[in-house]
Amino acid sequence: MSVHNLEIIGRVLRASTRGFCCGTNSANINQRHDFGAFVKVPITNDDHQWVIGLIYAVEIKDDLMISELVMAESVDPNVLRDQRANRMIPVEVSVLNIGYYDGDRFFHSLPPRPPMSLSEVSLCTSEEIATFTQRSEYLRLILQASEVPSDDLVAMALRFASLCYPGQEDRRAFMIHNGRQLARLLSNDLKRLSHILTLIRP
Amino acid sequence: MTTRDILDDFFPRDASGRPILTTESGRLGVVVGGSLSKGLVVKLDSGQSVEELAVGRYVVVHGESRRFFCMINDVSLNSANPAIQNDPPDISDPFMREIYYGTAAYGTIHVAPMLMISEDGKPKPVKTIPGHFMSVYNATAEDVNDVFGAEDATHFNVGAPLELEHTQINLDLKRLVERSIGVFGKSGTGKSFLTRVLLAGVIAKGQAVTLIFDMHNDYGWEITDERGPKVKGLYQLFPSKVTIITLDAESSRRRNARYDFEVKLGYHEIEPEDIAMLKGTMNLTDTMIDAAYTLRKRWGEKWVKRLIDGRSDDIDEIVENSNIQGGTLTALQRRLERFERWEFLVPETVTDSVKTIIDLLVDKRQNVVLEFGRYGNSLEAYILVANYLTRRIHEAYVEKVEKALGDAAMEPPQLLITIEEAHKFLDPLIARQTIFGIIARELRKYNVTLLIVDQRPSGIDEEVMSQIGTRVTALLDNERDINAVLNGISGAPGLREVLARLDTKQQAIIMGHAVPMPVVVKTRGYNEEFYKAVMQGDPLDGKPAQSVLGTGGRSRRVN
Ligand SMILES: Nc1ncnc2c1ncn2[C@@H]1O[C@H](COP(=O)(O)OP(=O)(O)OP(=O)(O)O)[C@@H](O)[C@H]1O
Ligand SMILES: [Mg+2]
Repeated sequence: MSVHNLEIIGRVLRASTRGFCCGTNSANINQRHDFGAFVKVPITNDDHQWVIGLIYAVEIKDDLMISELVMAESVDPNVLRDQRANRMIPVEVSVLNIGYYDGDRFFHSLPPRPPMSLSEVSLCTSEEIATFTQRSEYLRLILQASEVPSDDLVAMALRFASLCYPGQEDRRAFMIHNGRQLARLLSNDLKRLSHILTLIRP
Repeated sequence: MTTRDILDDFFPRDASGRPILTTESGRLGVVVGGSLSKGLVVKLDSGQSVEELAVGRYVVVHGESRRFFCMINDVSLNSANPAIQNDPPDISDPFMREIYYGTAAYGTIHVAPMLMISEDGKPKPVKTIPGHFMSVYNATAEDVNDVFGAEDATHFNVGAPLELEHTQINLDLKRLVERSIGVFGKSGTGKSFLTRVLLAGVIAKGQAVTLIFDMHNDYGWEITDERGPKVKGLYQLFPSKVTIITLDAESSRRRNARYDFEVKLGYHEIEPEDIAMLKGTMNLTDTMIDAAYTLRKRWGEKWVKRLIDGRSDDIDEIVENSNIQGGTLTALQRRLERFERWEFLVPETVTDSVKTIIDLLVDKRQNVVLEFGRYGNSLEAYILVANYLTRRIHEAYVEKVEKALGDAAMEPPQLLITIEEAHKFLDPLIARQTIFGIIARELRKYNVTLLIVDQRPSGIDEEVMSQIGTRVTALLDNERDINAVLNGISGAPGLREVLARLDTKQQAIIMGHAVPMPVVVKTRGYNEEFYKAVMQGDPLDGKPAQSVLGTGGRSRRVN
């Protein structure tokens, strides 16, 4: 896993082995921060091991200035534009850990240690996503995570991953393969299964 | 590694570049449970449609060190969660269907292990079962040949296993003729066609000579096919190996059918035993049969004619001097009067028909078809003649075999006697005494075996049935008939389902002595292609028969 040409999305604010939060500012927010995106960050004191996670929440923080402006009767459009373009509003991105990379291969289980604060969090490349999603055990980690909107997260992550495949047929095959995996995992909750399947249906 | 490569590892593609979802081609599923006695349960792979898996089809389980040859005997639908039955998913979307099939809802098949093929390719009886999660495949031609043998001097292609049309079942004819054979099936299921295929094989490969009591002119000359044009008889396929004799020359002439000579039987040759066989068909009582024995003893070999002529002084004399009632005698007389309508029965015979037939079979190694012509509609005539001839031919065989003193070269050739409506001969009431019962029971001791064709196997004596080595059965729908056919066959409960679901035509299960395991075949088509295949072995095909056979003391008629 290389550190070059990384699409940095932020730096770690807080972390645990279950997941972490990374911060950035509003000026940097773009589609890299989409819900369901695959991200990676090096594990504490180890440049070879990386945590793999999924973005499950993006939160735009407020401050005093914003509160005041929101309360104001009317806001001058110029002020509004200035606020949006030039002020740095803190943004918090929450990530669910779904696996890690040990320098050699991917594991679909929680990482041995969390990432260190201020580590750079970046997007996974499509090769990495394709390799990581070759197996489907990570789906279980998502489905079992109670703190996240796991149904939507699973669906979104699969949509993301399927985009790594160039052809229509391949994407469909990928979705079917994972859909079948979900059917096995959720055989005792058919309503949930059918909801997720509706979300990932091409 | 590019995404593309990773993908190719992940999703193999077929020739047209479409991803293949199932992992191995030809794989049907995995073994998930079962037992040796009850059979194995196989969970189908998702891509495998349940609808394609008919009962009776062969599958092979690849165990760790051996292959298990199995037959499908049940197919069922299951779900991982029974709740799915309350709220079934909408599968009109193919995407949803592909996901649900094989996961939340899946098919299972029940297969009966029939044989194991060890690493050396030899079939062995099953004494164990494959382990959990072993893969199950469609049987290949190689699998089938490992079990049934490849086509050779003794193996004859009789058809294709179910759903495996590219392969063929090669029946071991040597084993087939070694013990008696039964061909069963309800009317119109193709018994006669199937019997002709079997007989053509036996004749082509020279594994036995056959004597066919041809009730409905089904074997010798042309046969009308209910679906259209006429089909060839055995004579037309093997002109140098088949002789047609007839009881009714007039019918042969009318049908433009070739025959070699006409058989006449003398009244004086009929024995009380022959009459006893007609008990059921002619409605004879025990006292009438006793009377027949008494008459034979008192009047000698002319007894039948004398009774029919029924001179009153003759009758009086018997009634006075024996314990036979007058009424019994007249009743018997009235019944035997029917013989007078049979033109093949004559007071005196010039030639000994039995001897001629034995010469044909033993010395000339001819296969003999005895056509009944119009007498085929008279069961009495059929039973009388078949019993009469078979008894004497059997006697001759016993004598010849005993004379040979175990020297195989001196023994007469294996003889296969074919009869239709067999339950009339092998009815439990008479089977003990009839010659056919005796032949079936004595096994191959005297080189004579039976090929019985019947639509009501439940009417056949159980003991005789148990001696039938190879049973070939087309569709049967009567419970008792199915029981009779499956009695004593291992794996019978599974076969029951298969048997009751055979096609109404041209499908049969072969089980018993000639096959290492029961097999469902789509019978080989009896058509031009078949003729060509079997006639290649007969170099005399197409040449006038006389020039080869000579007259040999017989008058050969050619129309
Ligand atoms: N192997 C075959 N090849 C071609 N046609 C066949 C074959 N088997 C059956 N048939 C078709 O099925 C029809 C019925 O077959 P067949 O006369 O042998 O039935 P069966 O069982 O002998 O009937 P029955 O009990 O009335 O004598 C034939 O006329 C033929 O059209
Ligand atoms: Mg018939």
